[in-house]
Amino acid sequence: MRIVIAEDLLLLRDGLIRILTDTGHTVVAAVDNAPDLESAVREHRPDLSIVDVRLPPGFRDEGLRAALSVRGREPRTPILILSQYVERTYAAELLADGNGAVGYLLKDRVTALDEFLDAIERVAGGGTVMDPEVVRQLFARNNRDQGVSALTPREREVLALVAQGLSNSAICTELVLAPPSVEKHITNILTKLELPPADDTHRRVRAVLAYLNH
Amino acid sequence: MIVRAARELAYLLAGVLIGPATFLWALITTLASGLLSVTYLGPPVFLVLTWVTRRLAGLERWRAGALLGRPVPAPYEPASGANPWARGRTLTREPATWRDLTWLVLMFPLGLATGIPGVVVAVVDLGTILAPLWLWAVPNPHLPPVVDTLFNTVPGRFALTLLGVLLALPVRWLVGTLARTQAELAVKLLGQGPRQRLADRATELAVTRRRVVDAQAAELQRIERDLHDGAQARIVAAGMTLALAERKLRATGPQGDPARDDLLTARRQLDEALAELRRLVRGIYPPILTDRGLVAALGALAGDASLPVVVRAGDLGELAPAVQAAAYFVVAEALANTAKHATADECVVDVVRREDVLSLEVRDDGRGGADPSGSGLTGLRRRVEALDGRMEVTSPPGGPTVVRAELPCAS
Repeated sequence: MRIVIAEDLLLLRDGLIRILTDTGHTVVAAVDNAPDLESAVREHRPDLSIVDVRLPPGFRDEGLRAALSVRGREPRTPILILSQYVERTYAAELLADGNGAVGYLLKDRVTALDEFLDAIERVAGGGTVMDPEVVRQLFARNNRDQGVSALTPREREVLALVAQGLSNSAICTELVLAPPSVEKHITNILTKLELPPADDTHRRVRAVLAYLNH
Repeated sequence: MIVRAARELAYLLAGVLIGPATFLWALITTLASGLLSVTYLGPPVFLVLTWVTRRLAGLERWRAGALLGRPVPAPYEPASGANPWARGRTLTREPATWRDLTWLVLMFPLGLATGIPGVVVAVVDLGTILAPLWLWAVPNPHLPPVVDTLFNTVPGRFALTLLGVLLALPVRWLVGTLARTQAELAVKLLGQGPRQRLADRATELAVTRRRVVDAQAAELQRIERDLHDGAQARIVAAGMTLALAERKLRATGPQGDPARDDLLTARRQLDEALAELRRLVRGIYPPILTDRGLVAALGALAGDASLPVVVRAGDLGELAPAVQAAAYFVVAEALANTAKHATADECVVDVVRREDVLSLEVRDDGRGGADPSGSGLTGLRRRVEALDGRMEVTSPPGGPTVVRAELPCAS
């Protein structure tokens, strides 16, 4: 996979490059600020960009803003945001266009190498990956709205895994369920959240989005 | 030294001349305002009279300051009142107004008492020193023999000069003391009284305290940044190295190598360290405040709450980090309390900035009965008060609970 990295801390940039090259990927550009990220993505058209939220020049959320602006011009540009903390607001902003091919993970997750590699494959393939921490924050918020509170505990579990970007078969393995019952749960979730029929990836993203926004 | 002596002498002489004028003015002011005080015109006339009085007092302050070699600051409070009547009445309540008048009256006797001896002694001494230059022009017959020798012979006149020079130092001392006594008294009455000094001190303390609080907030932001770029990044990097090591071990090492379990444990421990650092950072200075400002941070708080929260905020403009953080933690604590105790269905957060005051209100529709002296709220109140702000909690049994805070935010 051809990957662009935007990370201002040398230590982490080097660590990411080592991990990615060791696992057979190619880092086509590694930049340390937001404007360079935008031009690197334009120039290299990578399969995936891995972007730190906090980047120069302002050391605020420039990375996230650059990612959003890239996707504003080129929808479906796969981007994985890495951060040392997660904010539900940022997750919702990333998902807002409903196009998928986005991820939002804590930097800690990089150290669980297999899961991380799996996550970058899913984002590059057009899927959505949300950090378990984002999902946990959502569950902490009890019964906030009609749609989500109508879900059964099992359906919530399934939705949490959907949010983390797992495929149906992965959810089957995780929850030890048969494929038809997972599908049934997902159909129920989509109905309860009142999401209109559309192609599957799209609806899954929107289900997560509906969840994040309430 | 001669210049200084001349200045002291000039001060005394001017005092003698000005004294009667200031006395007369004080008399006029007192009479006029006394007579008019019962009428409608009292306050505005007093305002005009005081304007002149303050110019005279200003002149005296300048004279005393020039003599003593240090500026004498005026003690007046800023004029307040919508119209001449209100302003005139304010002046009558200001101690400095009456202290000015007291000095203008005292000037007269004090100027004479210090000025005349000082000037006379100095002139006589000067005359004695200069005796050879002028005594020949003034015939002095019929003098006692010793004085006759001194006055009417050339060596005698030079002896007088010698005597004058010898006396110059004591005379100089006397003139200086008299002038300084008068000036010091002027400063006592015309300078800042205890009330003004206390007010100035209070202002100064408020400013320095604010500086400390701002510095503390800046320091916290710096710590947050240092943790982000330092400790947190290093731990993540260490985790990455461990992950690679584990991968290599898996590829080349024997199956079931016990070292792998140790690597996994180490990685889990690093993850825990990171989670702990994240919690710490959130408590120090929430990153979203730095990233997006107060309104967005409150929106995030509302989104994370376990009950529906409406945030209504206008344009808040630029806010100091200390003010932002205090506002954020007030709302966070109020929401946490509501979620925990109030059994409320909804919470409304209002944030408005009116000029230099940021007002917060967190209102729920719960059952009330919150204890305003709880430890969380007390800590927040201290934080708000350190910014010269106010915080109040009302929570009657049956609700609603309302937390209000006002934070000064002059930029």
